[in-house]
Amino acid sequence: MITQTDVKMLEETAHLAQVRGRSLWEDARVRFFRNKAAVAGLFVLIAICAFALFGGLFAKFEPDYVDFSLMGANAYQGVPSLSSGHYFGTDIDGRDLFARTVQGTSISLLVGIVGSLVAVVVGTLYGATAGYVGGRTDGIMMRIVDILMSIPFMFVLILMLVIFGRSILMLFIGIGLISWLNMARIARGQTLTIKNKEFVEAAIATGVSPFTIILRHIIPNLLGIVIVYATLLVPEMIIFESFISYLGLGVQEPNTSLGALINAGASQMTNGTLWMLFYPLGFFLITLFAFFFVGDGLRDALDPKDR
Amino acid sequence: MYSFIAKRLAIAVPTLLILIIFSFILMFAAPGGPFGGERPPPAAVLANIEARYGLDQPYIVQMFSYVKNVVFHFDFGPSFQYRDRTVNDVIAQGFPVTLTYGAWSALVAVVVGVSLGVAAAIRQNTWLDYLAVGITIGAQALPNFVMAPMLVLLFTLGLGWLPGGGWSGGLLIDACDAGDRLCFNNPFGGAVRFDYLILPVIALSTSYMASIARITRSSMLEVMNSNFIRTAMAKGLPMRRVIFRHALKPALLPVISYLGPAVVGMITGSVVVDVAFSTGGIGQFFVNSAFSRDYAVIMGITILVGALTILFNLLVDVLYAWIDPKIRY
Repeated sequence: MITQTDVKMLEETAHLAQVRGRSLWEDARVRFFRNKAAVAGLFVLIAICAFALFGGLFAKFEPDYVDFSLMGANAYQGVPSLSSGHYFGTDIDGRDLFARTVQGTSISLLVGIVGSLVAVVVGTLYGATAGYVGGRTDGIMMRIVDILMSIPFMFVLILMLVIFGRSILMLFIGIGLISWLNMARIARGQTLTIKNKEFVEAAIATGVSPFTIILRHIIPNLLGIVIVYATLLVPEMIIFESFISYLGLGVQEPNTSLGALINAGASQMTNGTLWMLFYPLGFFLITLFAFFFVGDGLRDALDPKDR
Repeated sequence: MYSFIAKRLAIAVPTLLILIIFSFILMFAAPGGPFGGERPPPAAVLANIEARYGLDQPYIVQMFSYVKNVVFHFDFGPSFQYRDRTVNDVIAQGFPVTLTYGAWSALVAVVVGVSLGVAAAIRQNTWLDYLAVGITIGAQALPNFVMAPMLVLLFTLGLGWLPGGGWSGGLLIDACDAGDRLCFNNPFGGAVRFDYLILPVIALSTSYMASIARITRSSMLEVMNSNFIRTAMAKGLPMRRVIFRHALKPALLPVISYLGPAVVGMITGSVVVDVAFSTGGIGQFFVNSAFSRDYAVIMGITILVGALTILFNLLVDVLYAWIDPKIRY
C-alpha cells in the first residue's frame, strides 16, 4: 500500500533526481570564476584579442603607409594625437604606430597560439603514446625529447632563419619544433598514472585497439593539465618570438611584431619619441600578464595536484 | 655515481655530435654559397676561393673534416665575413666579455634570489614577503629585451648615472680616469671598473633572480614546516643557526636543479645584452654574422653554446646527485 506520505516522498526524490550533478568541468569553471585575478586577466585578454582583430578598422592609415612629410620629423610632428588620426603617433619612417601596434599584437598572438596548438596536438599525442606503450619504445621516444631539449634552440632557429630566409612560416616551423617538448613530458607523466586505472583495463578487456584507447580514454583525461600548460605556453612563445624579432631576425618588414616594435622604439629612445617604445611595450606586458593570470587561474581550477 | 656520470656522458656526447652534424647539413641546404652575392667573382676566382676554404670537396668529406677539426682541434675554420680571421679569433675576442657579465649575472641572480626567497619565507605574510612575491611576479614578465631599454631609459637618459652601452675594456683595466665612476684602483696595480657592467648584469639576471627567489621561498616554507626543523627549534637553537645550518641546505636543492636552465637562458640572453648594450660579446658577433650570412661564425658559436649548454646540464645533474643522496639513478 502506498500511503500519502510515501507518494510525497517519492515525488521529492523524483525532484531530487532532476537536480543536475556537477561534473568535474563544472567544478573547475566555478573555481575559475571565483578567482578575481584570473577573471580580470580573461577580460583583458578578450579586449586584446578584439584590439588585434578589429583595431585595424579604427586605424586611419595602413600599417605600411609611409607619410613622407613625417619621415624623420616624427619627434615633433608625429606626436600621438586624436586629431591627426595617429592615435599612437608615428614611427621614424612616418608610419602610423596605432596600425602597426595592431598588426604587431595580432602577429605576436598568432605566433603564441600556433606554437601552443602544435604543442597540444603533437606533444599530447607523442607523450600519451610514449607513456601508454611504455617499455623500450617509451625509452627511445623520451630519450629523443631529452636530446632535443638539451640543444640551444634559440641559436639553431636563428641559424635556420638565416639559411632559409626570414619569414613568418619559418618562425612557425621553428617554434613548432620546440614548443611540444615540455608538453610531451607532461602528457607522458600523466598517462603513466592513468593507464593502470580500471576503465583502461576495461577497454583493453573489451578488445579496443591501443590507438583508440589513447584517443578515446587517455587523452580526454589529460585535457585538464594540457589546457593549463597550453595557456602558460602562449606567453612563453610570444616572448620567444619577440626575442628573435627584437634582434631583427624574426618577422620582416613591412610586417611587424611587438618585439620588432620594441626594438624600433628602443633604438629611438634618444630621439624623444618615447611613445614608439611605450605603446608596444605596454601591449606586450599587458598581454603577458593577462596570460599568466589566466594560466594560473586555470591551474588552480583544473590541476588537482596543487589544490 | 661513476656509472651515473658515464650514463649522462653517453647521452651528452651524441647530442653534441647530432648538433654539429645537423648545423652542417643546414648550412649545405642554404641557397647560394658564401661568396656568391650580388656580384659574384669570375668563375676561375670563385673556384680558387672555394678550393682555399675546402668547398670544392664532396659534402661528406667536408663534413668529416669539419667535425674532426671541431672535436679534436677545437678549430672552427676560417670566417667568411672577416677574411683575415678565423672563427676561433672571433670567439676568443667575444667570449671573455660574455663570460664576464654572464658570471656576474649568475652570481647576482643566485645571491639576491636566494636571500630574497629565504627572507620572504621566514617572514611569511609580512610586508617583506608581499614585496618579494610582488617583485618576483613583476620580474617574471620582464624578459631581458624589455629590461634593457627600460634600464637605459632610467639610468642613462633619465638619471645619467651609468653608461648606456659599450664595454671599453671591461671589468679589469689598467688605471682609472679622473672622471670615472665606480672605478677602484687596486694597490697591487690595475683597476676594477663596474660602471659598464651594472646595466647588462641587471638586465640579464632579473628574471632568473625572480625565479630563484620564488623557488627558494616555496621550498624554504616547506622545509621550515618539517619535523627536523621543529626539533632544532625545540632544542632551543638560535634562529640564525636553525636557518643556516639546518634549513638552508635541503631548501636549496630545487634551486640547484634550476641552475641548469638558468645558465642556459643567460647564455642565450647574452645575445640581447650584446645587441642592446653593444658590449661586444659573442652575441654581437652572432647577430652580425646572421645578417651577413657568415655561416662559419654562426655555426661555430651555435656549437660552442650547445657544448656549454650540455656541459652545464651535466654538471648540475652530477652536483644534484652528489648533494642529495636520496637520488639514485
